[in-house]
Amino acid sequence: MRKPPAWRGPGLVLVALAAIFAVAPRLYSNESVLFTMMTFMALAQGLNLLYGFTGYLPFGYVGFFGTGAYATSLLVTFTSLPVIAAVLLGGLAAVVVGLILGPLFRLSGPYFSIANLAASQIIYNVVANEALKPITGGPYGIKIEHVYAPTASYVTMLAILLAATALAAYFRRSRFGLGLRAMHQDPISASLAGVDIVRERLIAWLASAAIAGLAGGAYAWNLSVFYPEAVFTLQISVFAIVFALFGGVGTVIGPLLGAALLYAFYAGIGVSAPQYFELLYGLLIVLLVLFLPNGLASLLTRRNVDVL
Amino acid sequence: MRRPFQRAWTACAAGLLASGLALSAAAAQTAPSEIKIGTLYASSGAFAVPSQSQLQGLKYWAAGVNRSGGVFVKAFDKKIPVKIVAYDDQSSTATATTLYSQLVTQDHVNILMADFGSVLTSVAIPIAAEHHMLLIDPTGSGANFFTRKTNYLADISIPTSAVWPRVLGDFILAHKIKRVAIIYDSNDFDASQATTLKATLEKGGVKPVYDHGVPTSESNYTVLIHTIAASHPDAVVEFGYALNDIAFFHALSGSGLHFKMTFSIFPGQLLALLEKNVGTKALAYTFTYPVPPLVVYDKTNLGPNTGTFVKAWTAATKSAPNALDTAGFNTGLIMQHMLGTAPTFTQLAFHQALIDMSGKTTTLLGEFKINENGAQLGEQLPVAQVVPEGKGLKFVIVYPPNKATGKAIYPAPRN
Repeated sequence: MRKPPAWRGPGLVLVALAAIFAVAPRLYSNESVLFTMMTFMALAQGLNLLYGFTGYLPFGYVGFFGTGAYATSLLVTFTSLPVIAAVLLGGLAAVVVGLILGPLFRLSGPYFSIANLAASQIIYNVVANEALKPITGGPYGIKIEHVYAPTASYVTMLAILLAATALAAYFRRSRFGLGLRAMHQDPISASLAGVDIVRERLIAWLASAAIAGLAGGAYAWNLSVFYPEAVFTLQISVFAIVFALFGGVGTVIGPLLGAALLYAFYAGIGVSAPQYFELLYGLLIVLLVLFLPNGLASLLTRRNVDVL
Repeated sequence: MRRPFQRAWTACAAGLLASGLALSAAAAQTAPSEIKIGTLYASSGAFAVPSQSQLQGLKYWAAGVNRSGGVFVKAFDKKIPVKIVAYDDQSSTATATTLYSQLVTQDHVNILMADFGSVLTSVAIPIAAEHHMLLIDPTGSGANFFTRKTNYLADISIPTSAVWPRVLGDFILAHKIKRVAIIYDSNDFDASQATTLKATLEKGGVKPVYDHGVPTSESNYTVLIHTIAASHPDAVVEFGYALNDIAFFHALSGSGLHFKMTFSIFPGQLLALLEKNVGTKALAYTFTYPVPPLVVYDKTNLGPNTGTFVKAWTAATKSAPNALDTAGFNTGLIMQHMLGTAPTFTQLAFHQALIDMSGKTTTLLGEFKINENGAQLGEQLPVAQVVPEGKGLKFVIVYPPNKATGKAIYPAPRN
């Protein structure tokens, strides 16, 4: 019996994702919910690239998201670049910030997470500083409503989600990803086996930053009028982490499932039973931690199903 | 020979189009069974207290009009009951974005009203414009919102934040206070006030001796207050949200320091909340903006005057209304007049009705006056001082002179 090609599974996931989010606005007209769901799916997947494959948990992941949002908005405000180009450069700005923060990898475990959190707050405070009002708008926020285009930003976010998923599939299936996972398990043995730890870890970090930056750019385009706290709020980091963990990190479909299900639940309770929101959401997280510490994907892996 | 035929076809097509438009207009003018007002509130997070008060005020107004058979809608020449559709955004802009969209695309509300404050209003502005809906903005006063002409935004129950401190600046100059310290939260609402105050003071030749922005999440002012004291100010102006004010007064009373004049925003809006958290003594002789119902408007030409409203609210809810309750109620009142005067049931007609009311209407919040950018330029805020009276506190309006009910006690005595 012939073994199916290695890229068939990920390819199917990409096609399914594209089809679902292409059709969904025709079935459900609150495009904003779908857009935000895609944003968190992309962020959960981006975070998965780093945490799922290297074990480094970036509490300050929102720093890249906010950087992308602001870089895109500033490029739209001060240049005549097309918005798509500004979004791409927003991703690049996040990569530059990632490079600057590269030395954080001298730390590990909770020290890395906390230092990363501090870095994101520093970026936030710089952007929101009143002295930078002529450039960033400071605490007054920024307005790019002249380019507000919900459909175009929706399509862009879908493309970013597909790119993040393709990257996760590459990490999962490639020799490069194998090196990352080896490093996650035992960095010294991986190094002795020829894995260039510093280089591979940095690539994963920058890829993760790029996804957050791109998502931030598309999010800013969709929001178009916002204050710094809207794109630097720690809630974004927390959601990305919880969603990724709920689905199961280190897999391709885990973060997608986790973000889609939990966000749908979040949006559903928010509309139908807002008075029970915190109770129900908190209960769900407690149950997850108690009974599914490795996420939803572990339900499938226990039954030897390939979760990609 | 073909031309007459072409003309005939063109005429027929135009006729069909016109009848189609007339039919669709007639369909659009079918009276709904209820007027749906969609809004958001925050049950938790930074804006929970004021947001819920604003919603309570709106609900109180809706209950009142529904008791009398609904709100009169001129476009249908009849009264129609009001239904409020409200979702909880938990003070999160991301959640608010999806919920505003929910109100427009799923609930198909007739009127879209923003949550409390600038942060939660900001994300509604592009959504409203995209869907060609007028955004009724009760308390989102960010100066950044009102920079260009729009048919889809109207600031109803609060003046745009850039104009708030003008009277305060004049008061400081009139009292020849030369050493002023300003500490403010780094958000649109507070920072724009700091900017306006500095500009007003600088026109009078006063340059602040201390001028510092802090994060909106600031909760410990102890070190900051000592730093301010080191600059030897006569007046300390603190611009923050209610939780910042509480933290500021806690730190000030705990520090043992005393300034000749202390100003903050929320004693004038949520006095009961501040008294409960920091005590009466800590607030004595503080200066603030007194917002109705703390400042009274006896003569109105729309709705009850302040005194009548306070009495009715207190009888119905067994508690006195605060400024945000009043703002929510006033927003309902303005919407009621808007529906009662708009000749057609369209968003543009609603907007035009508001423009037509502007400058001619006085409610329990004072003069309603919006400009073409949607900014509220009426409802100006005087300066008041919180003065001990028995075991409690009372407000004395001290500036401008034509509204003053007493004289400022300056320098403030040490408590």
